[in-house]
Amino acid sequence: MSSAVIFPAQPENILKGLGKLWTSLGQEEKQQGKPTVLRACAMTLIVATDEPDSGFAASQTISELMHAHPARGIVLAVSPDAEKSLEARVLAQCWKPFGKAQQICCEQIEITARPQSWPNVGPTLVGLTVADLPVIFWCRHKGALRQAATKEEHAGLEAITSLATKIVIDAHDMPASDTVTLIERWQARGRVIADLEWTRLTPWREPLAHLFDVCECKLSDFHSIDIEYTDERPSMAALYLAGWLSLYRPKVSFRRVGGYLPGVHRVTLHSDSKTIDFARTGPDSAVLHSASGRECTYNFGEPAVTALMTEELALMGVDPAFNAAFARVRELLPDTP
Amino acid sequence: MSVVVQPLPEVNPLQDPLRFSRRVPPCAIVIFGASGDLSKRKLLPSLYRLFYERRISPSFAVVGSSRTPMSDDEFRHRMADSVSKFLEDAPFDKEVWDSFAQCLFYVPGDLTNPDSYDDLRKKLDEIEKSHQTAGNVLFYLSTQPSHYAEAILELGAHGLNRGNGWRRVIIEKPFGHDLLSARKLNDEIHKVFLESDVYRIDHYLGKETVQNILAFRFGNGIFEPLWNRRYVDNVQITAAESIGVEGRGGYYQEAGALRDMIQNHLSQVMATVAMEPPTIFDATNVRDERAKLLRAVRVVKSEDVPKYAVAGQYGPAKVGGEDLPGFRQEPSVNPQAQTDTYAAVTFFIDNWRWADVPFYIRTGKRLPKRVTDIAIQFKAPPLGLFTQETKGGLRAARPNLLVLRIQPEEGISLRFLSKSPGSGMRVRPVSMDFNYGSSFGERTPTAYETLLVDAMSGDPTLYTRQDMVEASWQIVQPILDVWANTKFDFPNYAAGTWGPKASDEMLARQGHVWRIP
Ligand SMILES: NC(=O)c1ccc[n+]([C@@H]2O[C@H](COP(=O)([O-])OP(=O)(O)OC[C@H]3O[C@@H](n4cnc5c(N)ncnc54)[C@H](OP(=O)(O)O)[C@@H]3O)[C@@H](O)[C@H]2O)c1
Repeated sequence: MSSAVIFPAQPENILKGLGKLWTSLGQEEKQQGKPTVLRACAMTLIVATDEPDSGFAASQTISELMHAHPARGIVLAVSPDAEKSLEARVLAQCWKPFGKAQQICCEQIEITARPQSWPNVGPTLVGLTVADLPVIFWCRHKGALRQAATKEEHAGLEAITSLATKIVIDAHDMPASDTVTLIERWQARGRVIADLEWTRLTPWREPLAHLFDVCECKLSDFHSIDIEYTDERPSMAALYLAGWLSLYRPKVSFRRVGGYLPGVHRVTLHSDSKTIDFARTGPDSAVLHSASGRECTYNFGEPAVTALMTEELALMGVDPAFNAAFARVRELLPDTP
Repeated sequence: MSVVVQPLPEVNPLQDPLRFSRRVPPCAIVIFGASGDLSKRKLLPSLYRLFYERRISPSFAVVGSSRTPMSDDEFRHRMADSVSKFLEDAPFDKEVWDSFAQCLFYVPGDLTNPDSYDDLRKKLDEIEKSHQTAGNVLFYLSTQPSHYAEAILELGAHGLNRGNGWRRVIIEKPFGHDLLSARKLNDEIHKVFLESDVYRIDHYLGKETVQNILAFRFGNGIFEPLWNRRYVDNVQITAAESIGVEGRGGYYQEAGALRDMIQNHLSQVMATVAMEPPTIFDATNVRDERAKLLRAVRVVKSEDVPKYAVAGQYGPAKVGGEDLPGFRQEPSVNPQAQTDTYAAVTFFIDNWRWADVPFYIRTGKRLPKRVTDIAIQFKAPPLGLFTQETKGGLRAARPNLLVLRIQPEEGISLRFLSKSPGSGMRVRPVSMDFNYGSSFGERTPTAYETLLVDAMSGDPTLYTRQDMVEASWQIVQPILDVWANTKFDFPNYAAGTWGPKASDEMLARQGHVWRIP
């Protein structure tokens, strides 16, 4: 269910639109004579996008995320083709959990803005965040994350980041040096940052980490690490993986290879007498050879963005493992191809 | 003087508990009583679900055992039917089932026959190789309680308590029939297993919402300062069922509500609500605090039992146009049975925090609805300024009630007074509600899923320890003894009502009333 266009897109008007929406959902309940709708909200999730689909993909992802992380979703689609400088629409995302009679509904606000109006969205958003709950900002606006962002993009981005408890980006196709500068800038302001490139590594990191649960294998014994990647340059994922593994400052080398998927293709750790090797063997599989020669196959393909975001939204606070890996990436950056 | 410092075990620097799921080691689970009700309704559906969610190791196997002759395949077929029928909040996936079924095996055998254990050992040896279970075995005793000790002693006699990996045993409720038998059972078990390898299950402790009590109390700063005799007037714990004994009359007749619910589940819930904060959140510290609390519960004197405990039994009634039988009319129940299908007890906890605060616990079958909750009734404000009846300074009724709902509609609500709209200072109670299901849209694992993973991972936090079990028997034993020698005038409540009048009177003596959940 969704409302008509709300213009001007002032918080008051949008909140009234939401109020009406809930009233109409409530009427449905009245007719049925029993509670059929449950309103749920655990955070405000703001997504800014400059994708040409006017925020359609972002909306779609939000509706999938709601099942695990009910939120007031706000999609801000910045597009030069927007009809009005700034307009909004409200809708309810509802679903019925398996085996339950009652629907769970979350509210969603879609705001469309022309690029020059983006800086004006800040005050609107301030009035739309849910009181006292975390505000997560997922920036899918590629332009604003570039070093060469326009003045409006920069101002627009700043207006939202200043509201956010946590900022999520996906640095997959961003130059590593831009990403590092951006994250450093936000970290210096005390923001919690997540990069989906790091989240993509969880299925790589988890089996590797488990090898060191048993004492026969000590991370400090491994003095060199080779990482193979398939992109033009080592992606942030490759750098994070290197950073995470180089607690004891091993020698790190990167090599470009052909592979099945973008990102990391293989990681090999060498000690004087042992080798650990973890490599993709297909688009959905990877094989880990442990130091004792055991071989184990893992099935993981390219994770869907919804799965990555679901993982990130479960973590609201500081991520010490990410911070440590990121700190080391800054040191590795000058030696990266 | 020289001090020898033991080196600490090296911590894995790559571990990331925020993101990595807990690692469950390879193992085989042996279920004694595999053809029984619990296996069908809870254990296999939970294991299947864990497998589906990849929360257990791929090197895993289940060996079912009971007297019913069955091949591996017959067992798999039977279990497929049960799992698809009893799986909670999740669909049955045929493909996943097929690979899960490859991990299921069956060894027919009588627990009282020593040869059965040789067959079992052979199967476990085979599986250790074929499924790479690393010699780890978790035995699950899901048979009649009278078989627990014998099965454990036979496991010891056949060396099945030792092997290439760890050996642990899960024991279902009831643990003993009274304090003496519980102690005896503990002694028998300890002949074969170390206490650290014994997992006494209390599925209430595995419920997400019971675990949430600890998060609520110790994760927040604002409730704990109020959580004591200064602010709390009384605590009411209710576990009501609307159904009767559902064909389990024979078993229930021997147990009764006090044994079946209060001795184990509800006393553990009381301990969770009332315990002191542990210094560290680990198995030893949490269980120490629960045990300490249970030891602080006042053991009622025999002559005081009628004052602090009420037994009830439901009689026939017509509810919603349907004729419901009384307990004595249920199949396989003695028509003169003196069984308590309802029990209500007032406990006092003799420590600094809770002295003189009554903890009322009630449970029963055929009550008006299925509900389990804990209500913390706070004291009234010292001066009643707003209610008509109390104008002029008399104490107001107690407006503040915090309810922790365990099932259904898991959540937390807080009642407080608010001004009614309109002129004049009229106030009325309103409720602020948090619903667990809608705030966390994810499916919550069932208690058995949680507890099985914990046992496989070697985490006994949510299992009861020897001292906890004995302490909880200790507090109900005088009541059981007095009731065993009392001829009750049963039935004393009609099906579909909130229990016998005597239960209301028990609270009235303290100036309280049962709330209607
Ligand atoms: N059902 C529940 O919801 C529930 C809830 C909480 C706790 N529990 C506890 O869980 C345990 C099992 O309960 P249940 O309801 O599953 O009981 P049940 O349906 O009566 O099952 C008992 C099982 O034990 C087997 N068995 C009986 N005598 C045996 C023997 N001599 N040798 C080998 N196997 C034998 C039976 O199979 P064969 O006849 O084929 O041998 C059957 O598989 C009990 O301790 C009960 O108190 C049950």
